[in-house]
Amino acid sequence: MTPPTATAPEPVTAPLIPPSTHRYADVIHRLEAGGSMLPDTPENLMQIIGIYKAYAVPMDFYWRDLLYIAEQVFLDPLPAFKYFISQEYLDLPNSYAGDQSKLRIWRGGEKAHPELLEFMANGEAGKMPKLLHHLWHDRINMEFAEACMEAMLWHQDMGGRFYDYLDSDAYRANADRAIKAYFRGNPLMLGLYRLFPEMFMEQVKKMSYYANLGLFWEVMAPVFFEMSDIYDEGGFSGVPAAMDFLVNGIFAVAGRPIYHHVYIKGECFEIIPKSEGFTWLYEAALPYVEAVFYRTAPFRGTKSYNAQAYQVPSDQADFHYGILYADVFPVGSAGIPPTLLMQDMLHFLPPYLVDLYKTHKRGEEDQLIQLGITFQRSMYNVTSAVIQALRDALLYPLDDTDPEHLMANRRFFEAQMDRFLRPEARLSQIQTQDYR
Amino acid sequence: MANIIETAKGAGVFGTLLTAVEVAGLTGALESPGPFTVFAPVDDAFAALPPGTVQTLVDNVPQLARILKFHVLSGAYRREQLIEQPEWESLEGAPVAIRRAEPFEVKNATVVSADIVCDNGIVHVIDRVILPG
Repeated sequence: MTPPTATAPEPVTAPLIPPSTHRYADVIHRLEAGGSMLPDTPENLMQIIGIYKAYAVPMDFYWRDLLYIAEQVFLDPLPAFKYFISQEYLDLPNSYAGDQSKLRIWRGGEKAHPELLEFMANGEAGKMPKLLHHLWHDRINMEFAEACMEAMLWHQDMGGRFYDYLDSDAYRANADRAIKAYFRGNPLMLGLYRLFPEMFMEQVKKMSYYANLGLFWEVMAPVFFEMSDIYDEGGFSGVPAAMDFLVNGIFAVAGRPIYHHVYIKGECFEIIPKSEGFTWLYEAALPYVEAVFYRTAPFRGTKSYNAQAYQVPSDQADFHYGILYADVFPVGSAGIPPTLLMQDMLHFLPPYLVDLYKTHKRGEEDQLIQLGITFQRSMYNVTSAVIQALRDALLYPLDDTDPEHLMANRRFFEAQMDRFLRPEARLSQIQTQDYR
Repeated sequence: MANIIETAKGAGVFGTLLTAVEVAGLTGALESPGPFTVFAPVDDAFAALPPGTVQTLVDNVPQLARILKFHVLSGAYRREQLIEQPEWESLEGAPVAIRRAEPFEVKNATVVSADIVCDNGIVHVIDRVILPG
């Protein structure tokens, strides 16, 4: 008989810094241990990966159409067909997927996703002319993508150099050339431009944000597809692994150029040239997270606010109408941008999420709300990835042994969690599984 | 005495940095009279970045140049001078923070070898690639 092997006792080492006393101390300690704001449970992993996949399919349309609008539709005064993407842009090879990609980290192909193409052809209502699909709203809701773009345009000053550049002489000169070329031979529009130049400049700035967001999402779509594939193969050990995958992805493409090129009668006008050195991380990803996840603006038709009673913050930086704060139920009203996204994702839910929703709350009746809350969980995980990436880029490794470094990490995490102290934040709710 | 580029070549631990500087077209600038202060990350610092990070930058020269310029100050400054001021403006435009004097820390990097005097400036060797923000 073999004697029982003695297991060595766990080494007891005193922590290098005292525990946090923050209201979200548990979450902070989890972040310090390499975790996510979202607890590591099998169901959370299933929910977030499932929704990443459902998000990636419409996103594969959003980025293509955003670039189509920024580069081709441009200043069309009556852009009624801006959502009728050209075949060229629908076929645009993704710069970060497919064999032609310089950076081959994600396995997906460069073409539009087959589920997207199938939906564009048939929609919910079956085969009919594109115009009828459009008018019936049986299509991908670009209005959501435009709402995100507008949030970035409106909040503007959120780090990076993009916004400052839009006010520079170089930008104005580039935009001026493009405006004049676009309306060459159109005395009415050129006359209006002479009378109201700033109005036209503002439109070009908006187009630059279309390009910015399109270039941002062009990367996120293959990342989310890849995560879904890895999960289907049983490849993620938990929520932190999924978060780490995002952190690595953020670094991998951090240096991707952000630019705005416009094609007018076949000629390329570089309104924001790549040579400005703008990057995916600083000029797109971080402003996007700030504008869309945290700030945005109150959605019409959801709730009334009295600005005189300070129900709307006087400082834009305090806006808190993004997904991390959203009460998904009232926001789920018809026509509201997040509802349009939920509607888009509904079409591409993996079967395991459909089955999950059937067993909770009102089953299929309130799938939009349930998937909206899943989306909220998943975006807390994406935000965690951004927070960890920033900590990694600007501060110290989690296993650093210098107490001062660990305290600097702690202060950073606490400052991030301070943003969720306001009552609207959903950080507390997502800690449990019964928030659906 | 040697200039910054020659000194880095001689050290043998800046292979990635020198390649990046070459790709970004900054070799000539760092051979010019300057003077400059360069925070030079060692090869291990670049190797510690997640896969793809360096490749994306090398594929995109202006973006690479921007990150490299964040490692350079105009003027030659020794450790004693640098620690007198909490922040120094980099050639990239964003400030480089001097976080600690002992051990000498620049942003979240530790200076593993300070005050390497060259013809056209001073090199401080750091153990991490530093990023604006």
